[in-house]
Amino acid sequence: MSCLPTADKLRDLNERYLAFSEISPSLEEAQGYPPPFHFSAKDNLCAKGFQARAGSRILEGYRPPFDATPVAKLRAAGGVLLGKTNMDEFGFGTFCTNSGYGIPRNPFDLERACGGSSGGAAAAACMLDGHIALGVSTGGSISCPASFCGVFGLTPTYGRISRYGLIDYGNSLDKVGLLVRRSEDLRRFLPIISGADPKDPTSCAQPPLRLERKSIRTVAVPKQALQNLSPEVEEGFEHALGRLEEQGVEIMQVDMPSLRFALSAYYVLATSEASTNLARYCGMRFGVRGGSISQHYNDFFTEVRSEHFGREAKRRILLGTYARMVGYRDRYYMKALSVRQLVISEYQNVFGRSDLVLTPTMPFVAPRFSEIEKMRPLEAYQADFLTVPPNLAGLPHLSLPCGYADALPMGMQFVAPHWEEGRLLDMAESWSKGFQFRFPEVCR
Amino acid sequence: MDVDTVRNVARIARLRLSPEEERQFAQDLEEVLAYMAVLDEAPSGGEHDFNPVPVHDVLREDVEARDVDADGLRDSMDIYQDLVRGPRLS
Repeated sequence: MSCLPTADKLRDLNERYLAFSEISPSLEEAQGYPPPFHFSAKDNLCAKGFQARAGSRILEGYRPPFDATPVAKLRAAGGVLLGKTNMDEFGFGTFCTNSGYGIPRNPFDLERACGGSSGGAAAAACMLDGHIALGVSTGGSISCPASFCGVFGLTPTYGRISRYGLIDYGNSLDKVGLLVRRSEDLRRFLPIISGADPKDPTSCAQPPLRLERKSIRTVAVPKQALQNLSPEVEEGFEHALGRLEEQGVEIMQVDMPSLRFALSAYYVLATSEASTNLARYCGMRFGVRGGSISQHYNDFFTEVRSEHFGREAKRRILLGTYARMVGYRDRYYMKALSVRQLVISEYQNVFGRSDLVLTPTMPFVAPRFSEIEKMRPLEAYQADFLTVPPNLAGLPHLSLPCGYADALPMGMQFVAPHWEEGRLLDMAESWSKGFQFRFPEVCR
Repeated sequence: MDVDTVRNVARIARLRLSPEEERQFAQDLEEVLAYMAVLDEAPSGGEHDFNPVPVHDVLREDVEARDVDADGLRDSMDIYQDLVRGPRLS
């Protein structure tokens, strides 16, 4: 049984780390009985009794009258919802530095980022033993923070977990997943939150989870994933490959040439979908009310959006709107859809020869905030080159801690065929045997 | 992407940008689009779908049901004589 922190303790902790954007006011009552487990929901998942702001000022005060399906399922299983976790605005970020509600701090080092966009979820999973953090990934938003905060981050197949009650970023890409400290919690909680939900048609085509245990024999490493790594990640990854071989896993290097198109295709699709999804935040059905309603609706909508969207949200709306405009649609949007199929086919080809595909999760360990400030937007986007391909392809993937450099964790990311989450759980468990996990003692 | 294009796209997206934002976004997006030119080298005309996995069609006949509490929703809106108030249409 995990320890449940008191509300005071949690608030104290949160003043330093800002992992939560909102904490349950009634935690003390929840202490009255020992709940089977405690969990959190990323702030883009709706939960009764909490605001759902998706890290955006434009949703300040929005209180959904219902639970997102995965939240409802965890509550029904007896879990206590501690609060909502901080995130990049609508999921737009690699470092969790684009939130309208403060920037979460890495539990390993206060001067460093948690990773985005589920940064608060990763920090919560890292700090609180036994905590189950619901995250969401569009292009790597579970893997990246899991890597920077030294926890497991499982992103299931697109459609495995209902998206009902999720505030959309990119509908063809969004996936709800889990961030936890221990591999056994993945096996316990994935079946609870998975399954067909008539309220989300994309969840209704799924085959059942196959969780019978099998050992992983072969893992493929694309040579394209071994470029542009920092020296410490390169060394840590080499060491991890050695450890896998000692465990009897055969490592093979493969060529996946389509990966060089994946990042561009992803940013075209993600921003195209985001720019249409964000059209609803205009101060009428959704979004804070802005200026006078005696204005013309165009001016009224424009005022609300211009004042309350953050900088990265505006940047992505512009990019996505541009990519869908007449004259550019074939060059960007339609091309990106073709590339997605190409990437899926290439993975399928590799899965004919190996059980899983493996890469480092991120090309570097958690960067300092001072380093992030100097990055241009394209440089930040390029940092996603390892997490984007499985997300674009809707393939299940798992980031797990594979080593530490100067006391900072780094992750490696396994990718499985569609619907084969079981292989990832098998890998997580065999890797965990004898691995010395480290967690900062911030919550005693 | 030049400043005029940024201004035009922003207008379509219902965003009003400051001159500083226009300059900055033009510079940022010019660099991003130059990088995305790699897509020109990707094979085109291949198969595509709008989702990465097949999605079931769940269309069905309408069924009367109460999903969320209408009063609760109404109370969170700007209401005048039981109608939702909005900006001028003309």
